[in-house]
Amino acid sequence: MNIFQDNLSRLAPGQQDLATAVTSAAGGVLTIEPSKTGSPSARRSGRWIHSAYDPLREAQTWADTHAAACQSGETIVVAGVGLLYHVELLRKMLPPEAALAVLIPNLDEFHDALAARSFEAWSESILWLSGSPTEVAERLTKTGRPIRCLSYTPATQWDAEFHRALEEALRRVISRRAGGQLTIALVGPIYGGSLPIARYVKRALETLGHTVQWIDHSVHAASYEVMGSLKDGRNRQVMQGRMADLLSQWTLASLAESPPDLVLSLAQAPLTLPMLEHLRKKKFLAAMWFVENYRHLTYWQQMAPGYEYWFVIQKESCFEALRQAGARHVSYLPMAADPEVHCPMTLSGDDRRMFGADLSFVGAGYANRRRLFPALLRRPWSFKVWGNEWEGAEDLRSVIQLNGARIDTATCMKVFNATTINLNLHSTTGEGLDPQADFVNPRTFELAACGAFQLVDHRSHLPEVFSDREIVSFRKFGDVPALVTTWLGDQAARQAMAHVARERVLAAHTYVHRMHDLLGQIGLSQPDRIGSVLRGDRQQESLVARCAEDRPLEALLKDCPSGQRLELKDVAARIRSKGPSATLKREELMVLMLDEYRSETRDLL
Amino acid sequence: MRRECRGEPRRLVIQLARLGDVVQTLPALDALRQAHPHQGLDLLCPEPLTAVAAGSGLCDRVLPWDGARWHAWASRWADNPVRTLHEAEGCIESLGPLSYERVYSLNQHARCCVLAQLCAEPIRRVSDTEAWEAQLRPWAQHLRWVAKERGANRVHLADAWCGMCGVLPRGQAPLCVPPAAELPDDLAGIGERRGLWVALAVGAGEADRCIAPAVWNQWIREFLAQTQNGHVVLIGSRAEGERAQAILDSLPTLLHGCVWDATGRTTLAQLMCLLQKCQWIIGADTGPLHLGTLVGTRAIGWYFSRARVHETGPYGEGHWVFQHATQTQPHSWPIMESIALMRDEQRQSLADWTLWRSRMDRWGAFFDDGSETAAVESSRADIWRACAPVLCESMAA
Repeated sequence: MNIFQDNLSRLAPGQQDLATAVTSAAGGVLTIEPSKTGSPSARRSGRWIHSAYDPLREAQTWADTHAAACQSGETIVVAGVGLLYHVELLRKMLPPEAALAVLIPNLDEFHDALAARSFEAWSESILWLSGSPTEVAERLTKTGRPIRCLSYTPATQWDAEFHRALEEALRRVISRRAGGQLTIALVGPIYGGSLPIARYVKRALETLGHTVQWIDHSVHAASYEVMGSLKDGRNRQVMQGRMADLLSQWTLASLAESPPDLVLSLAQAPLTLPMLEHLRKKKFLAAMWFVENYRHLTYWQQMAPGYEYWFVIQKESCFEALRQAGARHVSYLPMAADPEVHCPMTLSGDDRRMFGADLSFVGAGYANRRRLFPALLRRPWSFKVWGNEWEGAEDLRSVIQLNGARIDTATCMKVFNATTINLNLHSTTGEGLDPQADFVNPRTFELAACGAFQLVDHRSHLPEVFSDREIVSFRKFGDVPALVTTWLGDQAARQAMAHVARERVLAAHTYVHRMHDLLGQIGLSQPDRIGSVLRGDRQQESLVARCAEDRPLEALLKDCPSGQRLELKDVAARIRSKGPSATLKREELMVLMLDEYRSETRDLL
Repeated sequence: MRRECRGEPRRLVIQLARLGDVVQTLPALDALRQAHPHQGLDLLCPEPLTAVAAGSGLCDRVLPWDGARWHAWASRWADNPVRTLHEAEGCIESLGPLSYERVYSLNQHARCCVLAQLCAEPIRRVSDTEAWEAQLRPWAQHLRWVAKERGANRVHLADAWCGMCGVLPRGQAPLCVPPAAELPDDLAGIGERRGLWVALAVGAGEADRCIAPAVWNQWIREFLAQTQNGHVVLIGSRAEGERAQAILDSLPTLLHGCVWDATGRTTLAQLMCLLQKCQWIIGADTGPLHLGTLVGTRAIGWYFSRARVHETGPYGEGHWVFQHATQTQPHSWPIMESIALMRDEQRQSLADWTLWRSRMDRWGAFFDDGSETAAVESSRADIWRACAPVLCESMAA
């Protein structure tokens, strides 16, 4: 029997399909070359996957780094195949009861690995996972065990799309099965566009059953604004900076009142890097949803290492920039809509006249809009512009509504609903369309959720959230007048398109979906912390079930309310409620002792 | 869970604070041992400090408490409550049979009270808690008052702890023989040569309680200039090594042969051996200063910031404390004055500093500046009568 056959025979029983498939695979992906130590190493597309000097030593370092975090009840999933040295050494370091799975995105590569070197008994206990990302995700989550994903980076880059899709599928499956209740501190901004989004996020998290402590800084907006009235720019900056520091401290004090599982900040949340570092030292988990264009608002450069997780609305270049600045985990999380706010409305005749038009635009007077919109004047259709910061746009004066006053969300919804065609032009400081047109703005989702028809400037991320049967986009502003004319003349097509766009939002683009994904991502990355809460491991019933062999503890936990998450502090509070003269059992005293140490851990200020 | 059992009657003193506090708990152990010679007596203290009492002969067992492990268990309880509780239980179990007839918790933290209950005989948990509380309460209130008001208290903390344990101080400081511990080769010569050996505690925990390296540097220069065959041993933790280096860096090379840097290089047992080889120890109100008194080394303390001589001065006879008049960082330091004391020269006075000498009497330790001795004794007696009337009556009888 040759090496390949021998290795094939070691594939665990029940993996015959894989054995057949890998036998049929052609191989030829890896170039095998001896390393300086004599053991085989490999290259793929000219790049070394393992060390050319000592692949075993390199793999040992990788295994040493990751083995410590792995826990016996988990399924450890390794991405990256190569010659599997790293898997071999990790398997040898893990206890036998730990399950280890390896992803096989490319059967040719696996074929080469099986033919290159002899695997031994360790390979018999590996779960080899091939198939589509969705199939693999379903198979992994069926076990019910927490999943911990590890990546052997040198071998993953050729199958990046497979790994990305798997991660997304896992995130979805995990969030779909989530039954636990997290406590999430939501830190909002003082003012600005991310403030309403913070409100939508709060509602979404509560809809998912989590407890939200909203640290609402908008109550300080008036004071912050007053400071903005200082004429001396330096004084203004100093005062506003100090206020931001104070609010950062205030956030910390609020967190100390009741430590959450997760601190979730929205863009512009007043949390300084030193405060975030302090939180990290105290083992708080902090995430940021940066719902801004990273090219325009650049303070993330100073904050990047402060948050454990960054969620952003742009992709590759943004990921890279944040990582360069020190961010550890960066994920894509597009904007969304809140169907409770963004929804179709029945308007009175007066409202229709007041807020309606053939073509409307809602938004601030950015340079590109000032430059482009005059081309929409003196047309056979009516045109209205709503929103603020249009001072000095004399040529648009006839179409600017309410003298360019800021409009609230309710008015905005009336405009969306009363308008025949809503123009959605992403802002930029340049003169034309955004030259780096990637992210999709919240307005796109909000208009769609209202069942309102829109024309939007094309974005590179648009096709993955809406198809061209759901939303009409344009790549040249010069096309807009013709598009308006065409679509004004086809009410049925407009309504059909607006309807399917709304259906798409309800099915995939609400803030509930986004929070599902955000928590799923963090849960996937933290199987023993957020992941365990999401799985429901900390619900009273689950804890009681796990205490079956310990009667006194079981009795203690059974005494606590069912259907709720139970933390150490809850059990301790239950015991303390018995009063100072109660005779406490040993296990009760032990719980109180642990709780005393717990409370000291979170001593924040 | 572990089965609860009753053993022979024993007493336990719990002290979970720092080095200086553990040292100053020994007078209470000493007094308890004398008061109840036929009963078992144990001390529970932080694991790294067990060596302090281990060789003292003042208690039967020293039980180590590993706070770091409890922190870890507390943070991962929800991951696996059963395993966490079992491990915590294992920790308690490893301390041996815990079924104490009396438990004296000297720290007024909730965790120490819970620990006291855990260590007590189950049957006594509630009823006796009341009794202990009654005994502890006046002293606990007194100590809270002292901490809050910083009034004219003259009862030493170590003696107040005797009161909390229901015993009067013995009127003499306990002395310990350090546990056998070999010093590193390059420190083995300390104390071997003729001359005046002084241990210098370079740090004191929090920054506001530390004396700047420049001040110590000046002290060493003066000391070595005035003392023939003078030797200085710098002591402190590993974290204080940088302070020691800063002191050494600005000393003339010629003096380096007379200064030994032992910071971060000794275990607690080795430090006790090393201190025993020195005639004096000088420093702020810090653990090693008190440890020195325990092995018979005379102490000179520079007390400032929150440190108060009458509460936490070095325990025993013949120690000296310079107490600063305010709680702010001093501008001048008793450098020449402390050297004069070591050299047995005439005492000198220094503005903003008062010099106190430690003494012992039937109420324990007190500090005396040569005036009002009778009034001081009376004020201490008053506090004892108020906090422990029964004990005082039995003493009078």
